[in-house]
Order: sequence, then structure tokens, then C-alpha cells
Amino acid sequence: MANIAEARIKREFKEVVKSEEVAKCHIKVELVNDTFTELRGEIAGPPDTPYEGGNFILEIKIPDTYPFNPPKVKFVTKIWHPNISSVTGAICLDILKDQWAAAMTLRTVLLSLQALLAAAEPDDPQDAVVAKQYKENPKIFQDTAKHWTHIFAGDSKVAMITHMLELKQIKKIAISHHS
Amino acid sequence: MSEEKKNQDSDNDSDLEESDHMDDDDDYYGGYYDNDTGDLDIDKPKKSDDPEYFEYELLEIEDVERFLNEEVEVLHSTLQIQPGLAKMLLLAHGWRKDYIIDRCKKEPDRLLIDSKLMPERKVTEQIFGNSAVCSVCLLKRPHDYFYSLSCGHSFCGECWDEFCQVQIQQGITTGIECMAKDCNILVPEDFLCSVMQKPELRDRYSQLSFSDHVKSHPDLRFCPGANCPIIVRAPVCKAKKVECSRCKTTFCYKCGIEYHAPTDCDVIKKWLTKCADDSETANYISAHTKDCPKCHVCIEKNGGCNHMQCSKCKYDFCWMCLGDWKTHGSEYYECSRYKENPNIANESVHAQAREALKKYLFYFERWENHAKSLQLEEQTLHKITSRIHDKVMNNTGTWIDWQYLLDAAHLLKKCRYTLQYTYPYAYYMEKSARKQLFEYQQAQLEAEVENLSWKVERAEITDRGDLENQMDIAEKRRQTLLKDFLEV
Repeated sequence: MANIAEARIKREFKEVVKSEEVAKCHIKVELVNDTFTELRGEIAGPPDTPYEGGNFILEIKIPDTYPFNPPKVKFVTKIWHPNISSVTGAICLDILKDQWAAAMTLRTVLLSLQALLAAAEPDDPQDAVVAKQYKENPKIFQDTAKHWTHIFAGDSKVAMITHMLELKQIKKIAISHHS
Repeated sequence: MSEEKKNQDSDNDSDLEESDHMDDDDDYYGGYYDNDTGDLDIDKPKKSDDPEYFEYELLEIEDVERFLNEEVEVLHSTLQIQPGLAKMLLLAHGWRKDYIIDRCKKEPDRLLIDSKLMPERKVTEQIFGNSAVCSVCLLKRPHDYFYSLSCGHSFCGECWDEFCQVQIQQGITTGIECMAKDCNILVPEDFLCSVMQKPELRDRYSQLSFSDHVKSHPDLRFCPGANCPIIVRAPVCKAKKVECSRCKTTFCYKCGIEYHAPTDCDVIKKWLTKCADDSETANYISAHTKDCPKCHVCIEKNGGCNHMQCSKCKYDFCWMCLGDWKTHGSEYYECSRYKENPNIANESVHAQAREALKKYLFYFERWENHAKSLQLEEQTLHKITSRIHDKVMNNTGTWIDWQYLLDAAHLLKKCRYTLQYTYPYAYYMEKSARKQLFEYQQAQLEAEVENLSWKVERAEITDRGDLENQMDIAEKRRQTLLKDFLEV
């Protein structure tokens, strides 16, 4: 790992840990190993959205050329959102691609992702099925997203296991509703 | 060139416009004086006559560098600006010198903002003490370590250096932007050179930025040939034929794919996409062999000519329509014309779809057939070359004596190539009087191409004068069609 990348991640890490958002439990970053190439992020679902109450885990990989290239981020927690793949957790967000600027930090990335949860961009979708539902059947979208938050991003591990079995059924309903 | 040729031309042209006779006459006298060697001059028509004529130059990289520097120099001396800035302005505005000069006189600030060279609002970073934290590496650095573009976002020299290296390695050069969030101010070359400590990447930077400059210049095109360094320069962008002298690639100047007259760039793209989607079905439907219409023996086509003669019953027929060849020769050649079912509007959607498929297959089959014929004629060309070689070795004439055979084979390829590209054109043409005229001329060209093909394949038993007449007629037909239908 290049010098700048490692040195910067170490400093950024401190910045996030000290930031007021962490104090309010809105965002969090943890080390996965001691090489600083891989981190684990966590964001809270924003209030007044179907994601409220959920905690979403993110996988953050730092490239050698960081911060001149963006970190590679994806959702580990399953989520129902037009700009996030419901299967792989891949994210479609401009700042993680061509709009990245070296002066941005992990903190700005996490806050941007939180903002993305509050304001989806269905015209630039990552998951076409979700985006179609979002536009054509907003009510069903809300319900599905809330349900996914409850099952996958909620605190109750028991709820998660029991509802896992229902997952396939829900997806089928969600898809059949608009087709 | 003889009276006989002229007469034949006049006969065939009897129903065409008067101007064609005029052309014939011009060529006739022109040919009379120019043709010392006895070769036909049909491969090099005059500028004004040739609908395919296109003015272009093939340039080496050094020539283009000189040409671009001259452009920069003009702006530099007119506006009294740095050559580096002049180059960036030219790149941002498609090398339109007059436009830049004009705007620079009227609203210089707006021009710089639109060119991503000056910010809407400059940031003034306040300085406390004698050091500051670089927002990229988050390290505390003395003030003289910091550099900024016109936008005022400062970062330390090391970060700029690393940043530029990463960008160049990723192939970005003229488009490198400031490192600040939401700032799109471009990094000029001299700034980049001042921050980059390692000179190794400078060469790569020059190569890549040169390529960006060529691509942004409306008068320049890279030759699409694999690894070909040639750059084509033409004063106007038209869908005309360019032949690279280095790699021998022939292409359309406007869209860069294989030359496609008389079809235009958009239509050929549509056609090729359609063929790529549908060709499997078409292949499946049109088998590779056909039965002789008279004795029903199975025949595989092994030459380019569509005038077939059954080896068993000696029946002459057309490979395309399986009709008697006799009706193709002198009279009305119709097998290139698609006959639309007149009652189609009254029929069901299903029937309409079937009709659409039938129509497509009709044109596709002819397109594909000529493409195959072209390949086979490539073989004929090789055969002719080796036969000429044998003849010369056996002291039957010299290379010069047999040159006309090669000319004929080359001309045949050229005519058939144009003929092939008339089918996409016809496919997308609306039913109209113009389409009738097009199909008429296409049929005329097709008939003459097949005649020429027949004679070229039987060159040994064909009289030289006869063959040369046929070459002249076929090329005239090709030129006439292009003159009327090639959009200029």
C-alpha cells in the first residue's frame, strides 16, 4: 500500500471516530485488519424513510491509489433501494465513480450514502426491478423496503432468521405486483 | 477505345439523361488524347465528374504536430495569450479559432469559465501562521509547499504529484481536474510539469494528450487500421472514401467504418446492427445451395458471377432469381427489384410481420450474396495473377500486355462493392418515384457487373476489346448511380 493512502486512512479514521455524527450514532467506521486496506462502515437509516431504525453494514476497500481514486464500497446488509443492488449490494453513486475528488473523505462518503438512502435516484438505477417498483408502485416499494429493513437491518437476530424463509415469497409478491 | 464502344454506350444510355452523353463524349475525346499506353482511364476520373472524389491528405504524427502548433500559434499571436492556454481553449471549443477570438474579444471571462479554466468564484483560503493542513494527505505543511490552480484550492506539491501520476496512468491527461470537491477546473500542462517530479510519465502524457487533440479536431482522423500511425486530414467532414497508403485500410471519413456508398452513415449502421441481430435466421432460411431450375441438379456456387450455367444441362440462369438468364441480358433486368405485395395494408398483423421479414430477407440475401461474391472474386484475382505469371514465364506476352486483366479484376471488385452497398440503401428507401429510379439504376449496374464478372472469369476466351468495353460500361453505370444518389 502506498504511503499516502495508509497515512491518510489512519488520520481519517481518527477524524470519523471523533466526529459528532459518531457521537450521535449516525455513522461508524471499524478496522477489519491492521493493514488499513479494508474497513467496515456502518450507517443508520435516516429518519422518515423506510430505512429508519435499521443499521446498515458496509464493506469498504481502500485502493493503493487512494485518495486519488475512490474507495470501493458496497452494502453487506441487504437493502431494498433503487440505486443499490438487492442481490450483491453494489452501489450506484456518482462520488464513488467519476465525481470522486481527492479532497473527499470516508466521512463524506458515509454521509453521502446516508443521503442516498433518504433521496433515491430512480432514473439512474443499479437495480432495475427495484427502480421500476419505486416509480410505478411507491406504496408497495415503501412496504418492501421497510420489511427488508426490519428483517435484515434490525437488531433482532431471531426476527431475521424467521423472516429469511419468507424472503423469496416477498420478492415474488413485489415483482408480481407490478408486472 | 473505339467507335464500337461509343455506340454501345449510346445504345444503353438511350433512356438516360442527355448529360450522360455529354460525359461520354468528354471521356471519349479525353481518353483519345490521354491513353498512350492503351489502358483505360476509368480508374482515375476527373474531379468534377467523380461523385466519390474527396480531398484529403495522409499525415504522419510529426506533420500533425506541426499543423496543431501552427493553429496554436495563430491564437497566441492574435490574442496575445500563452500557447498553453491557447491550446486548452482550442481543445475545449473544437479548434474553432474564429469563435474563440470573437468570444475572447466580447466576453473573455465567460469564455474562460465555460472552458473550465477559470472558476465562477475564486476561493480565498485564510492563512494562519506559517503552515497549513493539506486536505488530501491531511498533513501539516509549510505554506510554500502549497500549489493551486486558478480556483484557489490549494494542496501540497506531493499530493499534486501523486495525483497527476495516477491520472496519467489511467489514461487521463487533458481532462485532469482540480482535486477539490465539485471543482472542475482543468490542470494545464505547464502546471502539471511543475508539480511532477518524475519525468518518466511526461512521454505518456504527451502521447495521450496528442491523441486527445487529434480526436477533438474536426479536420483530423486517426486511420482506423490496427496500430496504424497515419492521421487523415480533410477540410470538410463528409462520408467519403479514404484509403490509407500505409495499412491499406479503406474507410468512410465521417464514421470510420468500412466505406459504404451510396448508403449513408446512419443507415449503414442501422443495417449492420439489424444484420448482426437477424443474420442467423437469414442464414438458416437461405440455404447454401440451389437446384438448377431446369434439370434440378443441386448446384453450389463457386464463383462470384451470378450468371450460372448448369454443368449438366447447360441451362443459363440467374443465381438470384433462378430465372432464365436470357431475359436478364439485353432487356429489362428486374431481379434486383423487390416487389411489394400491394394488398399488404388489408392483411393481418401476422401477415405484415411475415411480409417485413420477407422484405428484409430479400435484401439481406442479395447483400450477403454480393459479399460472398466479393470474396470469391478475390480468389479470381489470385488465379489471374498466377495465370499471368505463367504466361509471362512461357513467353506469351509481357506483364504489360496482360495488365488489363488485373485492371478488369480490380474494377470488378470495385463495382461489386458499390453494388453490395446499394441494397441497404434500397431497403430503407420509401416507396417513391426516386426509389423506382434507384432500382432501375441498380438493376442496370447489377446486369453490367454480372456481365463483367462472366467475362473476367472467362478472360482467356474473351476478346480484350470486348472486356475493356464491358469494364467501361460497368464503371459508367456505377458512376451514374453514385452521381444521382450519393449525398454530397
